[in-house]
Amino acid sequence: METEIAVSASKLSRHFGAFKAVDEISFDVKKGEIFGFLGANGAGKTTAIKMLCGLLKPTEGEATVAGFSIRTGTAMIKKNIGYMSQKFSLYEDLTVKENIEFYGGIYGLSREEIANKTRLLLSELNLENMQNSLTRALPLGWKQRLALSASLLHDPPIIFLDEPTGGVDPISRRNFWRIIYEIANRGKTVFVTTHYMDEAEYCNRVSIMHRGKIIELGTPTGLKQKYDKTTMQDIFIHIIGQN
Amino acid sequence: MRQIFYLVQKEFRQIFRDFSMVRILFVVPLIQIFILGNAITTDVKNIKVIFQDQDKTPYSREFISKFVHSKYFIITGFEEDYTRLSSYLDSGKASLAIIIPRHFQRDIVLQKKPDIQLLVDGVDGNSAGVSLGYITDIVQKYQERLMEYSPELSLQVKNVRRIEMEPRFWFNPNLESKLYIVPGIIALILLIITLFLTSMGIVREKEIGTLEQLMVTPIRSYQLVIGKIIPFSILGMLEIMISMGFVYLIFGIGVKGSLLLLLFESSIFIISTLGLGIFISTISDTQQQALFVAWFFMIFSILLSGFFIPIANMPPVIQHITRLNPLRYYIVILREIYLKGTSIKDLIPETLSMVTFSTCLFLAAVIRFRKKLG
Repeated sequence: METEIAVSASKLSRHFGAFKAVDEISFDVKKGEIFGFLGANGAGKTTAIKMLCGLLKPTEGEATVAGFSIRTGTAMIKKNIGYMSQKFSLYEDLTVKENIEFYGGIYGLSREEIANKTRLLLSELNLENMQNSLTRALPLGWKQRLALSASLLHDPPIIFLDEPTGGVDPISRRNFWRIIYEIANRGKTVFVTTHYMDEAEYCNRVSIMHRGKIIELGTPTGLKQKYDKTTMQDIFIHIIGQN
Repeated sequence: MRQIFYLVQKEFRQIFRDFSMVRILFVVPLIQIFILGNAITTDVKNIKVIFQDQDKTPYSREFISKFVHSKYFIITGFEEDYTRLSSYLDSGKASLAIIIPRHFQRDIVLQKKPDIQLLVDGVDGNSAGVSLGYITDIVQKYQERLMEYSPELSLQVKNVRRIEMEPRFWFNPNLESKLYIVPGIIALILLIITLFLTSMGIVREKEIGTLEQLMVTPIRSYQLVIGKIIPFSILGMLEIMISMGFVYLIFGIGVKGSLLLLLFESSIFIISTLGLGIFISTISDTQQQALFVAWFFMIFSILLSGFFIPIANMPPVIQHITRLNPLRYYIVILREIYLKGTSIKDLIPETLSMVTFSTCLFLAAVIRFRKKLG
């Protein structure tokens, strides 16, 4: 049973002084699931995701990622996760190929593995012609897809995406989500935060965060039935309005 | 280990990606060595003199001609009116007035000891003292010349003056301040380049978010630190060699001592600047902040290094503070190796102090860096 859970949090909290950025959140994410973390800006999504990735220590509570505690097992967690933040995290003054080589090297891939992965990625992303261009020159949507690919170079079972589509046009967002689906189909767990409610529809389950707390958790269909709404957008506005 | 290789490779690719870095590496030392090496001088030269010759005899004219032939003095003119002499000093047209009294020649011949009056602009006490020294020297030489005219006088003098001074200045026989200043400039260039590169290099990754990205990879923070240190120390060593090359080409000043020893001491010094750079990166969130803090530390370490202001002239409390400054030791070491060819044996106290402070600074910075990331 335990092997079926990819990420599990219980009463996880992070305080900054008197401010409770994350306030006793508990949830389980099953393997192969696309788990959406919804909420307005400042609801505590990024703080929560940073704790799960080992970037921040929790104030209280506990969580496990891939079976390892975020308090004691961060080194093991880092081997098992991919992470892509809302900030573009590639080196803009390196070429596309150099970026892939660098992250591959950092994740400990061998020279052949890096060469193979590079070839594979470039054809997948249709970036063969751009491989020697500076990353700076790519359109934002492509940069995001490249950043996502770079964070998947070591084939991690769990992927954390923190507002991966911020500022990207609708078509690129659609394409990006197509990739997320592919990743999930390969049995990987995707943990994604967003404040685009149309994206919430793509998730298997969503949790809605508000002022550091999870105030609703369920499947999009289940939530629509519960609140008798047709879109996630309406549900979100309804729930946030109540609180 | 392989991770570190990729970090270093990435760093070098970024540094040499555009031409501007190469420009900084070559042009900064060239300009600094050329301009500062010529500008920062403690030599007192071109002292402007105004004469009043009340005697107007062959003796007085010969005396004045000694000044004409000296490279230290420029004769701005002759003034007949005694009351107007002070206006030359007031306006800065001259910093020295020499008044040769009436009957100068007659008094000399009669052995009545004429007095020459000097008016010296004492605002810059150091220069005033130095120019007085030059004048004493000229008067001395003039007297020796006078003695040639009267053999019996010269015999008399020889009986009085038993001891003759024959000073020889070692290591810098002409007391050129260039020789003293230029090795110091090399030290400054090394400080500036490595300090700024390190602090800005790390903070930039913080700013664009790649540092956060690196922290979710399995990479360890010590690997990250080493990955930053290796490229910046290599650049630092490259920079010092470029600087030494320019110093040789521009001033013809070469290293008297062991080049290997010089590079060894430099590498110890670089540890301290890299440490300081890492420390600055832990207290700055943006490149602007890092720049500002780096400036703050840079000014302090330069002014308290003995480069401009001799440490011996500072109040005792400040003198003790300068002991914490690695640059202080490094400048001494560079000058010693450059000018005297001093061997490691005679540099042990400075080297040990530098090793101690560099290591402490570096370790403290790295510990703080790791704590900040964790």
